[in-house]
Amino acid sequence: MEKLLEMNNFFKNIIIGLFSVRSNLTRVILTASGLTIGIFTVSIVSAAVSSIDKEFAKSMDYYGNDKVYVGTWPWSFDFDWWKYRNRPKIEESSLEYITQYSEYITDVSIKKNTWTRATYGNKASWLQLNGVYPSYQDMLSGTKIENGRFFSQNEWDLQRRVIIVGGTVRDGFFQGKDPIGKKIRLNNVTFEIIGELKKQGIGMVPGGTLDNLVIMPSTTFERILTRWGFDELVLQTNPEDIPLAKEEVEMIMRVARKIPPGDDDNFAVNSADAYMKQFNTMKNAIAGMGFLVTGISLVVSAIGIMNVMFVSVRERTREIGLRKAMGATNFNILTQFLSEAVAIAIIGGSVGIALIRLTVFGLASFPIPNFNGATLPISFDLLLVFYTFTICVFIGVLAGLIPARTAANLNPIDALRDE
Amino acid sequence: MAKSKKEIISIQSVSKIYNLGETVVKALDNVSLSIYDNDYISIMGPSGSGKSTLMNIIGCLDVPTKGKYKFKDELISEMDDNQLANIRNEKIGFVFQTFNLLPKLNAMQNVEVPLIYSSLGRKERIERAEEALHIVGLQDRMTHKPNELSGGQRQRVAIARALVNKPSIILADEPTGNLDSKSGNEILKFFAKLHKDGNTIIVVTHEESVAKLSKRRIDIFDGKIARDE
Ligand SMILES: Nc1ncnc2c1ncn2[C@@H]1O[C@H](COP(=O)(O)OP(=O)(O)OP(=O)(O)O)[C@@H](O)[C@H]1O
Ligand SMILES: [Mg+2]
Repeated sequence: MEKLLEMNNFFKNIIIGLFSVRSNLTRVILTASGLTIGIFTVSIVSAAVSSIDKEFAKSMDYYGNDKVYVGTWPWSFDFDWWKYRNRPKIEESSLEYITQYSEYITDVSIKKNTWTRATYGNKASWLQLNGVYPSYQDMLSGTKIENGRFFSQNEWDLQRRVIIVGGTVRDGFFQGKDPIGKKIRLNNVTFEIIGELKKQGIGMVPGGTLDNLVIMPSTTFERILTRWGFDELVLQTNPEDIPLAKEEVEMIMRVARKIPPGDDDNFAVNSADAYMKQFNTMKNAIAGMGFLVTGISLVVSAIGIMNVMFVSVRERTREIGLRKAMGATNFNILTQFLSEAVAIAIIGGSVGIALIRLTVFGLASFPIPNFNGATLPISFDLLLVFYTFTICVFIGVLAGLIPARTAANLNPIDALRDE
Repeated sequence: MAKSKKEIISIQSVSKIYNLGETVVKALDNVSLSIYDNDYISIMGPSGSGKSTLMNIIGCLDVPTKGKYKFKDELISEMDDNQLANIRNEKIGFVFQTFNLLPKLNAMQNVEVPLIYSSLGRKERIERAEEALHIVGLQDRMTHKPNELSGGQRQRVAIARALVNKPSIILADEPTGNLDSKSGNEILKFFAKLHKDGNTIIVVTHEESVAKLSKRRIDIFDGKIARDE
């Protein structure tokens, strides 16, 4: 019972605190806006980082954690392309060396890449094309054949014009109807659709999304689409063998290309995990910057709240004296002013949350035309609301503690005498 | 005074000394005083003689530098801040010269302030506050803010606030100092009525007319009691 009464008292003081917030609303809103900005930045940064993360992980599935890729360019975020642009093209013949000498590589395929205009009737779209071996069927990652089939060895041998298409073809050309058996034109050549890949949604794979992909026999590709693009070697291994496989493949490639010892590689051996590492570094840099900005604005707003609270204590010295004369304990006064500070912080944070909600809503409902109606990958996390609330309470208590203690420890006689 | 009366406050050799570096101010100098139930005391004396200091000590807002202060059977001079706050809340009603109402609260809410620091529920608080405002005749001004009330009315709200916790003693430090004589007389009538109803009252005043209405008069001079009759 005693405890209950104490609680009751505690809440009464909080209500007194909230009451004084209401009577100084303009000042409170001005002070709280610092926290609004802080909460807004931290939320947007962490929402962006976690969204990027999710999308990136999805995209990395496409490359697979069990594959090694050999190409002219390293997968990295250091964009010094001039270093790589004069490197020789990847030759399909290197695959023979790899199959012959490698211990860790279990399967191989060429992957020829290009982009082309696809048409069906009067509809047109740009699609990404891959020319691969029949073995690629088992090396597909991050997606699978959902409808129809892959091309056969025979079709590859005979350079048949058969294709496996990504998810957008169905929606873009056939109003959502089954595209199997239909014929579309790529680069003005007619192809028959024999298979369909699972729809992925937007990804961040350089070169587009899996949904815009068209896979065909590399022999057909070579005959019809040799204008521009680049080749890669796709090498299957086990996830745990990736580091060794990469070293081994590098050695074999050097031998195949007859690179003298001491010279630099003129090719790049890539894998998803290395790319991921690079990406994480960049992501952490973004997050670090975001949190720094947030940290600064939180500190600034804490100082702002502290200042407002000192002013509030100063202005209400007589009130404090009076309340003490009427029987308020030091703790009563402390609670009153602390809850005022926390309330200011929460008001600021809530406005921040509202802004974030609006921003996310705005971004999410804004379709990006080039991505076939997909939207920007940003999500709104409910946990954010919880964290914000916690941060606000923390900042409020931190900023309010010294002013509230000053108020609580005022001598009632001096306070009452204050002009 | 009537010997049959019960002693509620006993002050024994109390001093309040301000040590201001070079000078030492004896605001109260070895004062002893007993206050009985249903006393109506006026304290008079020149400015700076220590009247307010004595009131603040009686009201537990201040602690003596030396001496013993007993309130009923409790030794106030040994209490900590929380215990003092508790005594102020339950046993003492203050009336100030400058009213000291909270400007953003209405009459009713101002009267409620002491109750907020007691353990009463909301319903009982409202009942008590209404009752106290009735006693001072402001039942039709309950939702008025202080700036919508006359000086006399404000002081009556303050008296209602002093009464609301049913204190053992009401302390008024120059309650009519900021009022014209008509409003001042009104306030004094209330004190007379409260005294008749059994309350114990101490009033600090400069005015002979105020002192005359009380039943016991104490003169203070230089921190000492010069007369008590
Ligand atoms: N906080 C303080 N520090 C130093 N001296 C003080 C303090 N408070 C009061 N005094 C001194 O104590 C003495 C008594 O002051 P007190 O306020 O009790 O006088 P008073 O009788 O109420 O005067 P008045 O009629 O003007 O209100 C004064 O000389 C005053 O200067
Ligand atoms: Mg005085």
